Amino acid sequence: MKMALIEVKNLVKRFDDKTVLKGVNVELDQGQVKVIMGASGCGKSTLLRCLNLLVQPTSGQVIFKGEDVTRPGVDVRRLRQQIGFVFQHFALYRHLTVQDNVTLGLTKLRKMTARQAEEKAFHELERVGMFEHRHKYPAQLSGGQKQRAAIVRALAMDPAVLFLDEPTSSLDPEMSREVVTVINRLYLDNVTMFCVTHDAFLAKYISDSVVFMDEGRVLEEDIAERLFYDHPNPRIREFFLGVIDLK
Amino acid sequence: MTPFLHDLLAYAPQMLTGLKNTVLLMAVISVTGFIGGIAVFYLTLGSGKACRKWTERYISFFIGTPLLVHLFLMYYGLPELGLRVSPFWVSVVGFTLNVSAYNARYLMTAYNGLDPMELEAAGAQGFTAPEVFRFVILPQALRLSVPALTNQVIQNLKDTSVAFLIQYGDFFSQIQEIASTNFEFFKAYLTAGLVYLALVSVIVAAARVLERRIALPGFSAT
Amino acid sequence: MTFWHILRVLAAGAGYTVLVTLVCIGTGLVVGLAVALLSRLRWRPLRIALFLFTYVFRGVPVLVLLFMVFFGLPGLGIRVPPLMSMVLSLGLICGAYLAEVFRGAMNAVSREEVLAAEAMGMGRVQSFRYVVLPQMLRFSAPGMINEFTSVLKYSPFAYTVGIPEIMKEAMSLTPVILRGLEVYLAVGIIYFGIYRAFLFLFKALEKRFRVPGLAAD
Repeated sequence: MKMALIEVKNLVKRFDDKTVLKGVNVELDQGQVKVIMGASGCGKSTLLRCLNLLVQPTSGQVIFKGEDVTRPGVDVRRLRQQIGFVFQHFALYRHLTVQDNVTLGLTKLRKMTARQAEEKAFHELERVGMFEHRHKYPAQLSGGQKQRAAIVRALAMDPAVLFLDEPTSSLDPEMSREVVTVINRLYLDNVTMFCVTHDAFLAKYISDSVVFMDEGRVLEEDIAERLFYDHPNPRIREFFLGVIDLK
Repeated sequence: MTPFLHDLLAYAPQMLTGLKNTVLLMAVISVTGFIGGIAVFYLTLGSGKACRKWTERYISFFIGTPLLVHLFLMYYGLPELGLRVSPFWVSVVGFTLNVSAYNARYLMTAYNGLDPMELEAAGAQGFTAPEVFRFVILPQALRLSVPALTNQVIQNLKDTSVAFLIQYGDFFSQIQEIASTNFEFFKAYLTAGLVYLALVSVIVAAARVLERRIALPGFSAT
Repeated sequence: MTFWHILRVLAAGAGYTVLVTLVCIGTGLVVGLAVALLSRLRWRPLRIALFLFTYVFRGVPVLVLLFMVFFGLPGLGIRVPPLMSMVLSLGLICGAYLAEVFRGAMNAVSREEVLAAEAMGMGRVQSFRYVVLPQMLRFSAPGMINEFTSVLKYSPFAYTVGIPEIMKEAMSLTPVILRGLEVYLAVGIIYFGIYRAFLFLFKALEKRFRVPGLAAD
């Protein structure tokens, strides 16, 4: 039986008196792209953060490459270096240029030499069209450019999987297109991805399946078309009401 | 009754006189420094180029030199101008010149944060320059500067101790006298420290209340 | 004795003024950073102690503290030399003020950037060193400049403990030539000169490390 890259079993997360995740089960195979959707507060961002232990799960299991990473004594840093994380608000290091943002992890974590890191950074920046902006500071970039830089920063570490937390939610439609183009290219390059988003376009055209969450649980997992249009479950039908048929 | 407590009671009248002088000086210079600050601030906005230039130089000099120098300047300077005054008035003049410069600077910083459109609008409405200052600039500058201005008052309280060096009979000078008679230097200074802390705490509490009431958000010229 | 001559006599003490100022600034930086860093630890008694430190040392007048160290401690059997007395009073007070500046600056660093660093696999120390510290120091620049010049302006108190800086020279000179006003005008001019030199230096340093668009959220 083929082993999934990530297996999530009965994941529960409780914050004080509020239970945000009430037993989530989901899997991600190598080369797959899954989009997580749901109403605000359904726990999708929390789920993502539990997978690389930015948030400590209350109970349940997360199995990464066959290893249970929710057990005590796990090497969190090694795990995180295999997971690339892209944030909604970019989170670029504002005191560093685009290039330095990318090479920081390469030199300090991957222990590359400055020259090696630079070469790798140049290569990756070129792939998303950010090479010409490599000497700029985050404050000098547009939203779309910032997010592309953030994606490069994550990808340059050659992670096993890429997590994207609402990558286009802070961008206007034009910049959103910039970023979606990049994500599409990654999809075509078979990069494994978990993407939390509100963007129906992303869900429909750049994913293998959509995981729909509601109130801390996975309600349904299916391909986008079947979820978006006339779904038997009233909650799902209600949520996707008005999703325009996109080309 | 411990000897320390006994001393405390024996010296109480002296210390109270000193305290009175300290609070008096602090109150006076806070007021004169506040009014002076507004006046100097007004001059920095004036129409005369020479007036503005010299005002900026005054502010620059008094912010760039030690308070002690200001006090000594007044201490030696005023008599040479023919004014034989008590240490109290020497202190008042010296402190006022000092505090006014700082307060003016805080107000200037706040002024730079104002929306120039508002001032233009006021002028367009028909207000004269002094009226624009009185009704638009000053109220906003004051409210934006509340944290800085209240911090200045706290600083004033602590700085009154410097007046001791020009023979003013403030609280610290009384502590000095007491210590040099009974040689309990450490206890005396410890007492002084605690008293100043208590006074500062009172003002800080009052300042926070004031800030919450009237400060406009978005500024803190620390 | 010409005014120029007065200036030259007083300038002899300028070296000590600068020395006292720099030593107190240095102490303040070390203490301030230490306090700011330690206050990030989650241990309650430590945080209370640090809070008390900053509260006391920002609430007591410099002169009182200086006298306590230099004139008071001998009564307890501890003799503190003049420069050390300045360090333990003005230096520690500077540290308390800088601690507040640094604390504010640390809080101004975007939490999401730290999260991004941790998501990348950096440990606490690494994320602090490469993400928080560089930004924190830049945010602290105005507060630091303000406090450093303040130290300069309280350095004259050094004369009370016998350090032969500018003020002391002035006090020796005045009774001799009986031209107090001129002497203290000269004193003011020299201090102003030192002040401008310091400002120029600090601002040049700040400019060197400036990053376009780096501002607190």
